[in-house]
Formats: sequence, C-alpha cells, structure tokens
Amino acid sequence: MKLLKPSWVSHNGKPIFSVDIHPDGTKFATGGQGEDSGKVMIWNMAPVLREEDEKNESIPKMLCQMDNHLACVNCVRWSNNGLYLASGGDDKLVMVWRRAAFIGPSTVFGSSSKLANVEQWRCVTILRNHTGDVMDVAWSPHDVWLASCSVDNTIVIWNARKFPEMVTCLRGHTGLVKGLTWDPVGKYIASQADDHSLKVWRTMDWQMEANITKPFNECGGTTHVLRLSWSPDGQYLVSAHAMNNSGPTAQIVERDGWKTNMDFVGHRKAVTVVKFNPKIFKKKQKNGSSPKPSCPYCCCAVGSKDRSLSVWLTSLKRPLVVIHDLFDKSIMDISWTLTGLGIPTERGGEEQHSLQHLREESGHHQHRGSALHHHHRNPEMLKYQQERQNSAQATAGPGSAGPESSAPKLNSVMNGESLEDIRKNLLKKQVETRTADGRRRITPLCIAQLDTGDFSPALFNSVPILPSGCSMSNHLIPQISSDSCPGPASSLGLRPGSDLLLSSAAAGGLKGLEDKDGVKSTLLLTSASKIEPMKALDSRFTERSKATPGITAVITSISGLVPLERPKDGVSVLKDAKAKDDSSSDSEDKMATINKNLSFSKRKPDLLMDGAEVVEKRRKGRPRKDKISAPMAQPFTQVTPPAEREPSRVTAAPAPVAVLRLPTPKTQKSFSLQVSMEPSVFLEVENEVSLVAGSKLSQLRCSRDGRDWNTLLPSSVVTAAGSSDVLAVACEDRMLSVFSSCGRRLLPAIQLGTTVSALHCAAHFVMALTAGAALSVWDVQRQKALVKNESLRNILSGVDITVSQSLLTQQGVPVIGLSNGKSFCFSSSLETWTLIADKGDSLVQCADFRSCLPSHDAPVSSGPLAVMQGRNLNAGRLASRLSSTPHHLQQSMTLAFLENQLAAALTLQSAQEYRYWLLIYARFLVNEGSEFRLRELCKELLGPVHKSAATSWEPTTLGLRKRELLREVLPVIGENLRFQRLFTEYQDQLELLRNK
Amino acid sequence: MAKVQVLNVAVLDNPSPFGNPFQFEITFECMEDLPEDLEWKIIYVGSAESEEYDQVLDSVLVGPVPAGRHMFVFQADAPNTGLIPESDAVGVTVALITCTYRGQEFIRIGYYVNNEYTDPELRENPPLKPDYTQLQRNILASNPRVTRFHINWEGLADKMEDNENVDPSPNIGGMLPPSCITGKMPPLGLMPDNSMDCM
Repeated sequence: MKLLKPSWVSHNGKPIFSVDIHPDGTKFATGGQGEDSGKVMIWNMAPVLREEDEKNESIPKMLCQMDNHLACVNCVRWSNNGLYLASGGDDKLVMVWRRAAFIGPSTVFGSSSKLANVEQWRCVTILRNHTGDVMDVAWSPHDVWLASCSVDNTIVIWNARKFPEMVTCLRGHTGLVKGLTWDPVGKYIASQADDHSLKVWRTMDWQMEANITKPFNECGGTTHVLRLSWSPDGQYLVSAHAMNNSGPTAQIVERDGWKTNMDFVGHRKAVTVVKFNPKIFKKKQKNGSSPKPSCPYCCCAVGSKDRSLSVWLTSLKRPLVVIHDLFDKSIMDISWTLTGLGIPTERGGEEQHSLQHLREESGHHQHRGSALHHHHRNPEMLKYQQERQNSAQATAGPGSAGPESSAPKLNSVMNGESLEDIRKNLLKKQVETRTADGRRRITPLCIAQLDTGDFSPALFNSVPILPSGCSMSNHLIPQISSDSCPGPASSLGLRPGSDLLLSSAAAGGLKGLEDKDGVKSTLLLTSASKIEPMKALDSRFTERSKATPGITAVITSISGLVPLERPKDGVSVLKDAKAKDDSSSDSEDKMATINKNLSFSKRKPDLLMDGAEVVEKRRKGRPRKDKISAPMAQPFTQVTPPAEREPSRVTAAPAPVAVLRLPTPKTQKSFSLQVSMEPSVFLEVENEVSLVAGSKLSQLRCSRDGRDWNTLLPSSVVTAAGSSDVLAVACEDRMLSVFSSCGRRLLPAIQLGTTVSALHCAAHFVMALTAGAALSVWDVQRQKALVKNESLRNILSGVDITVSQSLLTQQGVPVIGLSNGKSFCFSSSLETWTLIADKGDSLVQCADFRSCLPSHDAPVSSGPLAVMQGRNLNAGRLASRLSSTPHHLQQSMTLAFLENQLAAALTLQSAQEYRYWLLIYARFLVNEGSEFRLRELCKELLGPVHKSAATSWEPTTLGLRKRELLREVLPVIGENLRFQRLFTEYQDQLELLRNK
Repeated sequence: MAKVQVLNVAVLDNPSPFGNPFQFEITFECMEDLPEDLEWKIIYVGSAESEEYDQVLDSVLVGPVPAGRHMFVFQADAPNTGLIPESDAVGVTVALITCTYRGQEFIRIGYYVNNEYTDPELRENPPLKPDYTQLQRNILASNPRVTRFHINWEGLADKMEDNENVDPSPNIGGMLPPSCITGKMPPLGLMPDNSMDCM
C-alpha cells in the first residue's frame, strides 16, 4: 500500500471540504474555501498517479478553478456520466458545472496564483431553494436526479434532466441535514442529520421509508458533515457518526428490514464520512486451495474526526487497514477511483490529501455496470494542448530572442485582422456614444464568445494570443520570464529589482525596507520619503472610496467604517508584507494573462465593430463567389434525366442501375481558346457561318506561331481542345475530329456514344469524357485506343459524387477528380481505376516528411500528382507540425503515405514526380533506420548483376534508368553510418556494373 | 457569483508626460448577458492624506455586454492640477480603476503612480511650485492591486432575501471566516475577505 499526500493540491492554505474523483479517473475536484469566496478546483489525476507526471512541468496539475460560490463549498460531486459537476456551499446555492469549449487559458487578474485554467468549466445552472448552507449533494444512479441537503433541515431533489426544475423537497428532519446517499438501484435515498436520525426515503413517492434513530440516540457533539454511504450491492447502508456503548461507530443498516445489528467500531472520535468503493470484489482462487465458492464482498473507507482512516471489507471482521494521523484536522470527505485502487481523502484543516493504493487487496472486481462512462477525450485533449503550446512556444522562440521581433508572430487573425492590429486601433475604432444624460458610453469589442451550448472541441485552431505582446504566459511554460517580455512592462524601464523594491516599500512596511536595505534604485529616494503616505495609500486599494458613490447604502456604511479603519490597516500591512515578494516577482506574468482563442471567435459571426464589417463582407461574398464559380466549373452531376427515368419506370429496367449523366457544355455561337503556350496555338470556332445546300457549316480557325489555317465542319462545334501536337473538336452530332497542328485531319471522325462532356489533349493523346460517363483515350500517333469507353460508374458510386476535374497527362494517363476529394486515374496496364489522391486521407494529414525534403529548394514536384493533390500536401505538412500523434504511429503513417505517393506517381507515369518521391522515401527510410525496406529498394533498383534469360527485371521505370536512381539514392544512404555496409555493398556492385 | 471577471488591464502610453490622458485597455469576461451597463471610473488620488483630494478623472458606461470576452480602451484626461496639493504633486500616489454594476462596486484595480521630473536638475532641486509640464507620470503597470467585492448581480428582490439569511455558521468552529454579505458593505476591519487578491 502506498500513501501519497500531494502537497500541490491546495486551496492556497484554505480548508478543503470535499473531494470527488471523476468517473473516468483522469481528474478530480475539490471544494472548499477560497480567498474571499468558495472555491471549486479541478485537478489532473495523472500527476497523482505517476511521479514522472508530477515532475513534468508541462503536465498541468490544476485544470480549472472556479471562484463563483460566494461562500465556502461543502461538497463537490461528479455526475455518474462525468459530464457535470455539482457543488453546494454555504451560499445556499447548488451550482452545476459543465465543461465548455476552451477559449484560451485564463488566470485571475492580479492574483498571485500563476495557475491558469487549462480547462473551461462553466456554471450551467444555479439551483436556489435552500435557505441555509448546502452540506452535501448526490447524483442519483443514471443521473436522473440530483439531491442536495442543507442546514435548513431539508433535502431537495432536482430534476437533473431539466435543471433548475425541482422535483420535491423532503421535509422531516428536525436538524441540520449533513449527508446524502442514493441506493445504487435508485429505489431509495438516505439522509443523515444532526437530529440523531438517519432517514430512508422512497424515490417512488418521495415518502419516508424508514426512520432510524436508535444508534444515534447517544450522539453528542457535532461533526461538520455526516456523509453516509450505500454499498454497491445495495445490501448495506453505513451511517456516519453513530454511538454504541458510548463509543463512536459507523452503523451498518441492512436493507433487509433496516436492521441495525452491526457496526464498524474503533474510531476514537465521531465518524464524519463513510464511502464504499464502487466496485464489488471477489477473492481470487488461490492455487491448491479448496474450490469453495467465494463470496463477493465490498470495501468501505471510514474517516473520522480523530484524523484517522479505516478501510473495511464486508468479508472481514476487522479493518483491513487503519491509518492514523493522516491529517491535522478531521477527515471531511473520501473518494474512490472507479478502478477501485486509490482513495484520496480530504481533511478539513488545510489542503492536501492522501492517496492509498490498495494494490494487494484489489482482487477481482466486478463491474456494477451502472455508470461506467469512460471518455478518453480529456487526457487526449490535455496532451494535445500541451503539444500545441509547446510548438507555439517553439515558433515564438526565435522571435522572443531578439528584442525587436519579440512580439510573437502568432497567426492570430481575427477576420483577417490580428488582435495586435485591433489593439492598436482599439481606441480609435471603438464605438463611443453619449447617453441621453450626456454620459460617455463605450461599446466593448467582443473578442471571444462564450459558448453556452454544447461542448465542442474547438481546440483545433486555438492559437493563444498575448495582448500585452508577451510570449506565452501560461504556467505550462514557466521558463518564459519577465526578461523575455517586451510590451508595456519593460517599457517602464524598471529592472525587476527596482520593481520589487518599490512594491515592498510601497507596502509601507518598515519590514520591506529592512529586507531590501541597501538595494539601489532610483525610485528608492522618492518612495522612502513617502513611506508614511504610502501606507495611507495602501488602504485606497481596498476600500471603496467616496469617489465611487455607488448606492446610498454604501455611503452610509462608509461613514460607519471610519472607526474601524485603524485595525484594518494593521492587518493589511502584515498581509502586504507577506505577499509582496511573490506578487511582485510574478507580476510580469500577471500582466500577460490573457490569451484567447481566435479561431473560436472567428467562427462566430457576431463580432462587434470592424470585425462585423468583415464578416458581413464575407457573408455576402461567399454566395456570389459560388454563383460565379458554378457556371465556370460546371460541376458534373450524376443526374438521371427525367426523360429517361420515366420510361425506365414503366418498362421496369432490367437492372436498377442509375444512369450516369455528366453535364455537357452548351453550344455557343463562337468561342476561342488558347490550347498551347509554347508554341502558342490559338483556336477560334465560329458555328453556323454559312449555309450550303441547307446544311450549316462551322468554321475552325487555328493560329500557330503566326501561321493560320482553317477548316470547316458539318456540325456545330461544342468544345475543342488541343496540345502542341494535336487539336480535337467535338461537335453536336457526337462526332470527334482530330487534326494535326497544321490542320491536317489525323483520324477519321470518331462517333461518340453520347455528347461530349469534357475533352482534353496532351502531347499526342486525346481524351474524351462523354455525358454518359464513359472515358476514352486515344494515342493519335500510333492510332490506337489506350482507354476504351471505360465507365466511371465504379468511381462515381455514392450519393452526390460528381466529377470536379479531369485532365490528361503528357503520358496519356487520364485523371478524374471527384467532388469527394478523391482523384483516380485509369491505368491502362492494370485496366482499372486507381486511386491517386484523397484529400480526406488521414495519412496525408499526418505524414511528416519535412526532414526528408531536398535541402536545396529543388523544383518541388510539379506534375499531375501535385496538381491533383494540390495544396493538400502543404496542409499535411502543416498539420503534422501540430499533430500530437505518437512518434511510432506518425512514422508508420508517413511511411505509408510516401509509398502511396510512389505508387501513384508510378501509375500516373509521372517520372519526375516518381523520382522526387523516391528520393524523399529513401531519405525517410534512412532517417528512420528501416533497413529491410531500404535493402529491398536498392535490390529492385540494382536488378540482377549478371544477365540471365529468366529475369523479368526492367532496367528502366517511367523512362528513368533504375541504376541511375540507385546512384542518386546511395549518397543518401551513406549519410547514416548505420547503413555503411549497405552503402558499400551496392556502391561496389554499381562500380562493377559500370566497368563491365 | 461574480458575472464579470477582469482578465487584464494594459496600461497604454506609459510612462508619459503628466498632462497626457490616462489610457487603460481593459479586457474582461462576462459569464452571461448583462441587462445593464457596467460603469467604469478612473480615480486619481491627489493626496495620500485625505480622500478629499481624490479626483474622478472620468466615468464611462460600457455596454451592451453579452456573454463573452470583451475589451475596450478607457481614456480619461489627466488630473486637474489645481486640485492637487502642491506638496503631493511629486512622488508616489495611486490611480484607481473601479467598476460598478447596478451601482455596486465589484472590482477595484489600483496602481502606484510615480510622478517625477525627468530633468536631473529639477529632480535635485524641485521647484517649490510644481512644474507640471516637466513632470513625467509613470504607472507601475506590472503591479496592479486588485480587490474584488461581492455584490448582488441580480435585481433588488434577491438582495433583501440575502440580507435576511445571514448565517453565522456556528458549527464550523471558527474555521471559516464569516461569509461576505451580498449587497451590503462588509465591516472592513474584521474582514479578511475584503483583502486584496494578490495579498
């Protein structure tokens, strides 16, 4: 068994009254006293569980703190599904919290605590009904109800599905109700109060089922809480503070008839809290022991005012373990993790809690099945945040080194305007009006909206912004200190030393002067002479002055205050002196506390002021753009034309195959296009130029390097295309004509099945995509078909998928880009469609091969593959920088991605791209030390050294000589000493071959 | 619960000549839409000796305030030198930013302000009558002193109820400081509650 008292779990020395571990075990909440309010804090569990995480400064310990309770928080409880946290306090309120989208870390301005919230928890509802301090809250099984009990002698049941609706108020206790527990099947709720009774209430009709008083008759004195607990099997209810023969006990109440025959004895003072482990345990069968059926048992922790904790098993007569003097004060609350291995307990006195690892006894636990709701989101998110912040820091790093460029150029853009820009002009731009009575009224600029709705992991683009020009102010990165902070703070020209001095002198204490005796500062002169007035000034910080009249009540109370002023001063001076040191040392951090998530606000359109204009423009702009782009791009749609659909319904077509139909270009009276730049070739088409014997003729004119030719066609030309070698035109009569660059007809007119949808020419290849979604490619030079009327049905399978792009490579490989982000090419050798690019491919997003890019900015691959993958590749490289994928996973993803690229380049017959990716691939293999693949690659490139008839090895690929490629790859291999053998092996063989 | 949290105050144009206007860029977060405006004030403490010399440099209403993070720049003219006691013109004093909602002050941010001659000659031998044109104002921006007060954020109806139900919490045995009473001025002399957060 291990005990751990994480000293960092503290409410700044203020008492903690409650603790609860999140059902998923990744975090826990504490409730208690705050500075001048109640406080709820949410902590990360990982640093408790693992020492290395505790030492790791990048793992946040505190996740969120909420100061919203007006007075001490007595109880915090997670809902069973883990989505909500309920807290009840001396302010008579129950607050229900829910995690909200993270809008950047925030700290309490001016607070000495450097802890920034890394999670955002928002109060979603405040439950008001109690007229006294709320002492305990409890969620029913399945989170149907939330119960709260109070010193107003009542228990209130809230409808947890419809906050803040109240279901009922249970009255009957005649004393302060200090503990609640639900029966695990939700049939009862039990409460314990100072009126020496434990009452069990039915949830069916909310009437009292049992009133147990006997074990409590002797009870004298009071405890702060009486947290009772129901066993997970529902059989036993164990009370807090009961008495048996004038000894304090925890009374066991049996469900069966509410009998009170047993108790847990041994504590020297009143039992304050009982908590069952949520699991039911089963003894492991020991080898060789008799196979007697083992009885399941429960495990229960009992905490007492005597500062000791005992742990009991229902199968044992004596406690499993008793731990004395855990804390200085009474134990206030206990929580088990759902895995049943640890219990932090809280003491009332001060901070700290302990954790027990009950490894030996964990046995075999059975799940009760009720509310084991694990969500792995949170740890993942935390990790993600950390990595993000680390990477952001890394990018900001070089900037903050130089004093000029120190404002980190984070891509903090708010509708095209960075927050820095906004801040610069805020004074000029902010809307200021006069009210009817002539007062100034400023409309503040909304820089982030709070979500009140559902949680959305809006982290993806969250770049924290630092308004004061400082680098990351997060506690996660504590090493960024005041020195690296430009901005207003350093413009003061104060060294940290003088800063400190002034503040301590100002604190008015003689104490401050003693400490800092002899510390030089220009400010010392003035401030030293001002010690007395400074002391007087100090009180101004804290007292509402006459200058802020406020309401009349305040004025009267101020006058009533005057006699009290002196003692107050004394207090504040003492406190000042104590706190000065840390408050001044971290003051820089304090000033840099605001970070925001702009991406979040970006999504919300309701920005005020100039932000709003931009948004408006965008809104208007988008549809217009769509309108423009629509006719241009002519998104090919998979349409079943009504004319065809009708008959097919009647005749009950043999197969329910959707008829693919791609849109076709409209016939225009005339049009012209440039088909080639080098040499420059222009095409001009004029339809219906002349009528000869009743038939309309169309004219095709072509100008190539200043030389013109023209020809006539018997039908209107729908579309035309050309390359430097060939020209193709498709006519309304579904005829495709191909001409040489000089106007000579190369092929007889080709009859297409349906009208043409898209026509492309490249080198001596012509590609036609028809409205019937059939694709053909011809090699004009060799007068052969490469692709024969191949249907797009296989790749257009899916709802609403359309052809968004089509092209023909110089090698005559047709490529079709679809609206779902996938691109296919038809491989004539494989006679099938092959996928060459997928924008939704997660491999693309995550592959990280930046380190393997050619160092000199070599012509980045430009070819059909790059065209189809487009900017996507760049996005992938960026995303990889932010990605939090573990290294080995990313390595495999990158490898897979690179191999995909190679295969795609190969099938596209894009030699340059193949070579480009091959070199990156080789470099990646070298960097990652993948010898198997590397060897295979070399072997393939080298081929057989000795000629034999049986070999099928091709010496070239895509016209590249493989051995030349190997010659390029080898130096890369040589860079890694690990592959020295491989390098020399192939180097020698290449030499051998060359000499042959 | 406090509906408005001040997240940051950046002191702009600092240090600056004494006659320049004060400029504070204030960022705050609001938990829910506020039906009424916030009122912000800048108070210049003319003399440490007495509140009589306090000057409200300006007050502005800020609104509407929907839930979210907001920022604005509060600019106010420099203090009227005629109202500052001559003996207090040079040296350290205090500037306060306060914010009230429904007439109740819920936050007070204080800064030390050092007024000094930039000219070494004048610094050595300050004129009897302060020469404000030569004075430089330096706000110690890195060390704000923030005090928060509990106020009643809701309407007046609640306030009555809250005042009635002041519970001295006798059972806690002095472990807890008595809670701050909403909407009413707490007895300052006894209230550790009402101290500065940074303390």
